[in-house]
Amino acid sequence: MLYRFVGTIYRTLLRRNSVFLTGVFTTAFVTEIVFDTAADKAWDTINRGKQWKDIENKYVQN
Amino acid sequence: MTSPNSYNTKVVLATSLAAVTGIGFYFFVNPIHANEAEEGLHPPAYPWSHKGPFSTFDHASIRRGYQVYREVCSACHSLDRIAWRNLVGVSHTADEVKAMAEEVEYTDGPNDEGENFQRPGKLSDYMPPPYPNEEAARASNAGALPPDLSLIVKARHGGADYLFSILTGYMEAPAGVEIREGLYYNPYFPGGAISMARALFDGLIEYEDGTPATTSQMAKDVTTFLAWAAEPEHDERKKMGVKAIIVISILTALSVWLKRARFASLKSRKIVYVFN
Amino acid sequence: MAVSPRLATAAFNRTFINAPYTAAAIKQLFESSSNLRSTIHVSPNPSWAVGAKRRSDGSILSKTILNAAPTGNIQKRLSSSSAAVDSSKSTIVPDFSKYRKSSEPNTSRAFAYLMVGTTGALTAVGAKNSITDFLVNMSASADVLALAKVEVDLTKIPEGKNVVIKWRGKPVFIRHRTESEISEANATQLSELRDPQSDSDRVKKPEWLVMLGVCTHLGCVPIGEAGDYGGWYCPCHGSHYDISGRIRKGPAPLNLEIPQYEFEGEDSLIIG
Repeated sequence: MLYRFVGTIYRTLLRRNSVFLTGVFTTAFVTEIVFDTAADKAWDTINRGKQWKDIENKYVQN
Repeated sequence: MTSPNSYNTKVVLATSLAAVTGIGFYFFVNPIHANEAEEGLHPPAYPWSHKGPFSTFDHASIRRGYQVYREVCSACHSLDRIAWRNLVGVSHTADEVKAMAEEVEYTDGPNDEGENFQRPGKLSDYMPPPYPNEEAARASNAGALPPDLSLIVKARHGGADYLFSILTGYMEAPAGVEIREGLYYNPYFPGGAISMARALFDGLIEYEDGTPATTSQMAKDVTTFLAWAAEPEHDERKKMGVKAIIVISILTALSVWLKRARFASLKSRKIVYVFN
Repeated sequence: MAVSPRLATAAFNRTFINAPYTAAAIKQLFESSSNLRSTIHVSPNPSWAVGAKRRSDGSILSKTILNAAPTGNIQKRLSSSSAAVDSSKSTIVPDFSKYRKSSEPNTSRAFAYLMVGTTGALTAVGAKNSITDFLVNMSASADVLALAKVEVDLTKIPEGKNVVIKWRGKPVFIRHRTESEISEANATQLSELRDPQSDSDRVKKPEWLVMLGVCTHLGCVPIGEAGDYGGWYCPCHGSHYDISGRIRKGPAPLNLEIPQYEFEGEDSLIIG
């Protein structure tokens, strides 16, 4: 079962270099967005209440 | 061929030599030692809100610190490298900063007639200096030049800790220490005698957010503000650094795996001789 | 934390055999280091250290042998596991089965490719960010950008008046146009124009005309409220512009240029 799954993965994604490279760059694109979002969120959690965007609403008129 | 014994001896010798050199350097060359009279009292390490690799500045503190700078420090100290626009999105909104800048008159020109003229400040203008030049500053301060505060946190040993200690460290000179007229005793200042008088007193200003303006509160806030002024890129820098370290660590682990995968076939090769 | 010892073990113990030397073996190893053909006897041998598969004629097919605890009379070498054996029939083949992956070859191949791909993807992310940072570094710095924008208070410009602003070293004309001027600009036939452009393409709000005050002929500064068409007139070579800043007469080839600008609220204009 697992072997068949691995075989499918290999044949569909890894066998042809063009498909492999496309996959690599797609992964890179997705990874960057996901990682940046996650890291920014963690960062804002660690520094909650300290950054300008946390206190901004106190000073913005209208 | 060197025998393993002498090789081990060499390793031991080299290690001991390095250790002795290191210890010797630490005790005899390293400048960290307490010579209070000449170098000032070493400031204690304070738990700054921006201490550590994951901490940003406390921007509410920067805002209060700007108020302290504007109402107290700016009477003598310039802040040449900070423009009004730098405050936008850090401690004030764009409208607030525009209003603050417009209260200051700047010389601009020349106009159509070739004359310089006065105009209200804009976001692109820099913080107005208290004195037109160094000579005027010295003349007003009994020969002492109040340093520009833009980079003061980076420019002094101990950084923010030193600044906080200086601002809160004024006291009566101990017995036996002679302080000249016009100087003040501050154990954290190198030499002990500083030209600046104590500037912060409890309740000296009134914070707009209602924080009690004690001496230490004002000292902490203004030091945070000046730490920001010295490193406006601080928050972004730390965030970027953390992200880079995470990605690079993963890449390192992956490279180790790949190297081992590549070398596996090479390393497990055997050469066999058959005598015939 | 639990990962690191395992990682280290995996990193260093993969292909080489790190057998636990016995104290006696180590002692002999060093004592006899000048003796090239010394013999090491270690007994009793641990069960894992020895074992040979033999063919029916008695020759060795494969043999498990560890360089730490060799059996028999073997030339000792510190950095090689090859063994010279006085045999014309047999070859000692170390048994690698313990170090082979237990997974199926196809799985490990797919896994290796996935590792290569992941490394490639992460490297691409890093490379992209490094390049972006370098390129951003080359663009205008914040202090230059701060000067590149000019804010104009529109309440101070009455209807039917021109104002000239300095922006990036060039004059910018701002005209608060009257109703009749707007309708005059709209009434002009495009076929009459040298550089056809409708008035609505040249303004964001019809009452405010904002243009660079540089004649498109040779770069002089035209004079306002002058010329045959009630707009601007360039004194250098006599180019006439209409109330929308379009060229009507004279040597200039193009209409007066429109800078980038934005209205902020009702009475504030930001050029740049």
